[in-house]
Amino acid sequence: MLYLRLAALILVRTTVRHWREKIGSYLLLLAIVAVGVGAFNGIRQASRSASANFGLFNQAISGQSDFLIESPTKTLSADVLYSLGPLSGDPDWHLVPVIEGSITSLDGDGEPQQQLRLVGLDLMGLANLPNLSEAKFDFGEDELTWYDWLGSENSVWIGRKTAEKLGFDEGEAIKFIASGRMREMVVRKIIGVESSSFPDDLVIADLPTAQLLLSRPNELSRIEVIIDRPELRENVDYLETIKSRIARYLPENLAVQPTQNRAADRAAITAAFRLNLTILSLIAILVGAYLILQALDAAVVRRRSEVATLISLGVSRGVLFLTFLLESAVIGSIGSVIGIGVGWLFAYLSAQMLADTVNALYFATTIEAISLTWMDCVFGLCLGFSFTLLAGWLPARDAMQTPPAQVLSRGDWSPGFSWLRNRWIGTVLLVLGSLLLLLPPFPLEAGGKMAVGGFLAAGCWILGAALLSGHLLVGLAGLLRSFSSSPTSRLACSRLHDGSSRHRLAVAGLVVAVGMVTGMFQMVDSFRGTIEQWFNVRFQAELYISERGVTGAGTINGIDPSVMSELVQDETIAYADIVYVSYANPPEGITVLSGVDMEAWSTTIRQLWLKPPGSLEPVEGSEPALISETFARRFGLLEGGSIELETTTGKKSVSPIGIYSDYGNEFGTAAVDISTWKEWTQSERPINVSLYLNEGSDINGVRDRLRLSYPGLDVRNAAELRGVALDIFEQTFKATSALNGIGLVVAFAGLLLGLLAIFDESSRTWLTLRHLGFSKNQFLLSAGLEGAGIGLGAWISGSLVGLALGWLLIFVINVQSFGWTLRWQVPMADFLTFGSLLVIAGFLSGLLAATYWSHKNK
Amino acid sequence: MTTTQSENAQYALSISSARKSFGTVQVLKGVDLGIEPGERIALMGPSGSGKSTLLNCISGIEKLDSGTITLHGQVISDLDGGGLEKLRRESIGYVFQSFHLLPTLTAFENIELPAQLINMPKDERREKVYHMLKSVGLSHRSDHKPDALSGGERQRVAIGRALIHSPGLVLADEPTGSLDTQSGEDVLALLEKLSVDQGVALLMVTHDRSSARICNRVISIQDGLLI
Ligand SMILES: Nc1ncnc2c1ncn2[C@@H]1O[C@H](COP(=O)(O)OP(=O)(O)OP(=O)(O)O)[C@@H](O)[C@H]1O
Ligand SMILES: [Mg+2]
Repeated sequence: MLYLRLAALILVRTTVRHWREKIGSYLLLLAIVAVGVGAFNGIRQASRSASANFGLFNQAISGQSDFLIESPTKTLSADVLYSLGPLSGDPDWHLVPVIEGSITSLDGDGEPQQQLRLVGLDLMGLANLPNLSEAKFDFGEDELTWYDWLGSENSVWIGRKTAEKLGFDEGEAIKFIASGRMREMVVRKIIGVESSSFPDDLVIADLPTAQLLLSRPNELSRIEVIIDRPELRENVDYLETIKSRIARYLPENLAVQPTQNRAADRAAITAAFRLNLTILSLIAILVGAYLILQALDAAVVRRRSEVATLISLGVSRGVLFLTFLLESAVIGSIGSVIGIGVGWLFAYLSAQMLADTVNALYFATTIEAISLTWMDCVFGLCLGFSFTLLAGWLPARDAMQTPPAQVLSRGDWSPGFSWLRNRWIGTVLLVLGSLLLLLPPFPLEAGGKMAVGGFLAAGCWILGAALLSGHLLVGLAGLLRSFSSSPTSRLACSRLHDGSSRHRLAVAGLVVAVGMVTGMFQMVDSFRGTIEQWFNVRFQAELYISERGVTGAGTINGIDPSVMSELVQDETIAYADIVYVSYANPPEGITVLSGVDMEAWSTTIRQLWLKPPGSLEPVEGSEPALISETFARRFGLLEGGSIELETTTGKKSVSPIGIYSDYGNEFGTAAVDISTWKEWTQSERPINVSLYLNEGSDINGVRDRLRLSYPGLDVRNAAELRGVALDIFEQTFKATSALNGIGLVVAFAGLLLGLLAIFDESSRTWLTLRHLGFSKNQFLLSAGLEGAGIGLGAWISGSLVGLALGWLLIFVINVQSFGWTLRWQVPMADFLTFGSLLVIAGFLSGLLAATYWSHKNK
Repeated sequence: MTTTQSENAQYALSISSARKSFGTVQVLKGVDLGIEPGERIALMGPSGSGKSTLLNCISGIEKLDSGTITLHGQVISDLDGGGLEKLRRESIGYVFQSFHLLPTLTAFENIELPAQLINMPKDERREKVYHMLKSVGLSHRSDHKPDALSGGERQRVAIGRALIHSPGLVLADEPTGSLDTQSGEDVLALLEKLSVDQGVALLMVTHDRSSARICNRVISIQDGLLI
């Protein structure tokens, strides 16, 4: 209690007054905390809102449903409704068949405007449900009788937001592209805004209408089950009995599961993506914490003599420790509060970008309004607060160790951080990191994996290298000293060679930044290099045709088979490589089953082969397949073998005869022959086609002709598609490079602060040198050289650990998380540029810090 | 041990057979000293003879290798860190050659601080500080911060700070070392007056024989021994 009172007294009398005097630096500190917390929170919110849509969709339509009946491929024939027999008549529940697919709305000029999600419901059935619930959709007050639903074949219901955005009113016609055809519908009703959870991109139609639009007659996506007694919804036992009762009557290829599972399933699909973002935002906050540490430590140094005097007056060290900790706590809390606001802004600005990325790579999404929950606030506050406190810990300890004034007055005094001199901690961390690599990856839901060992090893290596970098700096300075003759360079080298804790801290912070940035360099470069090479092989045909408006690799809708067969009749086509795709269930999670022309794929069509077709013996009794590397790694089929996949028609075994690289999805693909695929999936819908034209054809002429005849299809030549595909990957790395930039800026700021503290601490040395006739320019030059030396040392250590990180990212983390092998590329030019930048920045920081110092000590 | 507990009690400070060395350098080689309450002693000696070291040992900042130092009946080598802090807060006032005022505090607040550290009630404290400011002749500068004060004025504030909590012993390490002759004179006069008024014992390190005139006794340290 007395402690606290004293600490408060000192805080008010000294700390707060220092703040007032240096209001600029403290505002900067607050800004740092705010940006750190903001980046973290913002990224969290943005990625959540971008993927929230998966879950939301469920809540909106089937928020009222308790179970879903689905097939492994997520499609089923409407005929199953009859085969459900006793299930459909049961008074305890209602069955709602649903079809779902994506369509693209067109503007007045027939250009694609927005991608929408079409859901077909049995409206009549829905209207007859007994008091479905509070949140039931309002399909129009006066349309509650069943005959009003008649004649809705050409009508759709859309949400108010979409209607406003696209400029439609009730009763107007709206044009869509669906399944490669253009369609016209009437907007029957605009659904009011009362249900705020209604997704932006939702279009509702009667079941037959939706089936027609998607040209999937007689097909369903799933059947939703709504229990008749809403009051028992929360009753686990009741739900369990219902579930088992349903399961009993279900045909073999169908499964019933609680509604939330679906949302979870889809959310998990983006888990890997979100994981990356989370790690990046954690880095942002860590880097922020480092800056705070530097700044608070500089404050301790500045106030060293004050602290010493207080100790001489009998203020206990505990009180001083508490005071400095309180100081960082205050900064932490104010900064975090601001950070939450900053985060909201950041999320608001970046959500679109993130949504685009998620969109392109995974599923079509729209942006849900950015929501700031209480959890976010609490989480952000706690995070900012605890990191600032942690960052304040070392400086506070440092302050506590200040000797009393009478000792301090004897000379320069550089205390604390003695562990920075201990080479064992760093060495042990490096070894520990290498051992952690042996940890197996941690399986996530939906079949993804997280390279736990890899991430932990990365952390250990970075920290270890940072701790050891001080020794490297000392050695380097010793080496350089023997080459230097001028008094300025000698002075700089001798000071670095002395290796004070503060020099070590400065270089350690830089090493962390350099290591991470150069590691990321390599990954992005390797990724880009590999992808480009992959594209060269992949885009070997002249023209590529897919459904228009669908950009996502994960969206499975497909092209109307009759459109396809008409299209491939074109006489300029030498060969059409038609590809079919559907989901299939491996023993765990989900994967992709594709149907291809096996004959052509095994001979003429080029791939990046990891194992060329024929190099693996297929297992007797299994369907021979070409599998992607991801698939092979996921199911341990790199050396052959077989795996069972559950399809519409039951469990089927596939066995690889070849393995190709595919960077398109992280769930893996198994490609079987088209006839087999059709038989297994009971579907005829292709997803896309690559056209090889007759020799001498005018590629763009054919493209334009096809575009005119098939307005619903997306026809592109190889170059165009390459551009689009590369864009997608560039987008993925946008956030990465932005954070890299922040990391660098922060590292330099940290170096500057560190050098300021160093020069402050050596005031006596400089004053003495000044008395000895050291000119101001000599002082500045020497300070610049000192900074440059730290930059050089940090670059060498940082590049070493960066190389290790690059290796780790490419050969451990990527392989374990996504099953991708990338070609490791070390961008030498970037490394060197970066090194020179660091040395120059170090020199400038030294110069700047020294200028500031001499300005202050005029 | 050459003195008994009861003998110690009559001294404000008593030191017996104090030894201290830094590595191979023997600085104190068995120092014996007794200072009675209210007694003022000048400690002289060549540079490097261990004067500051002795003062640091008395305030517990350096630890003796052997021997005892007893302050107001308390053997300081028996005290732990907290006890030493308490001792410094309550029983010792320190005056430094280079002042060491807290730069953010006004003259008034600088003097007030030790009284706050020992939890003196607010009214009494303000009264005392006001009084002290008057005694050191700085009533008109009470709201000024150290960097607005001259060297002599700063040292007068420091003396006020050393005495505000009525310690039994004031240690001064070359209090006039950074001052011109006139300011030095003022500071010495002030030190003498206040320590006489308050009956405080004073141990003052000085290089200047004339400064010693305010003291009752002059002792010298040479080769680690008092003579
Ligand atoms: N921490 C230390 N480590 C090593 N030697 C020390 C230390 N402190 C003091 N000394 C040595 O002890 C001796 C006495 O130092 P001290 O500061 O007490 O001298 P002094 O009498 O106060 O001198 P001056 O009059 O110059 O202030 C010196 O030789 C000094 O070098
Ligand atoms: Mg001395």
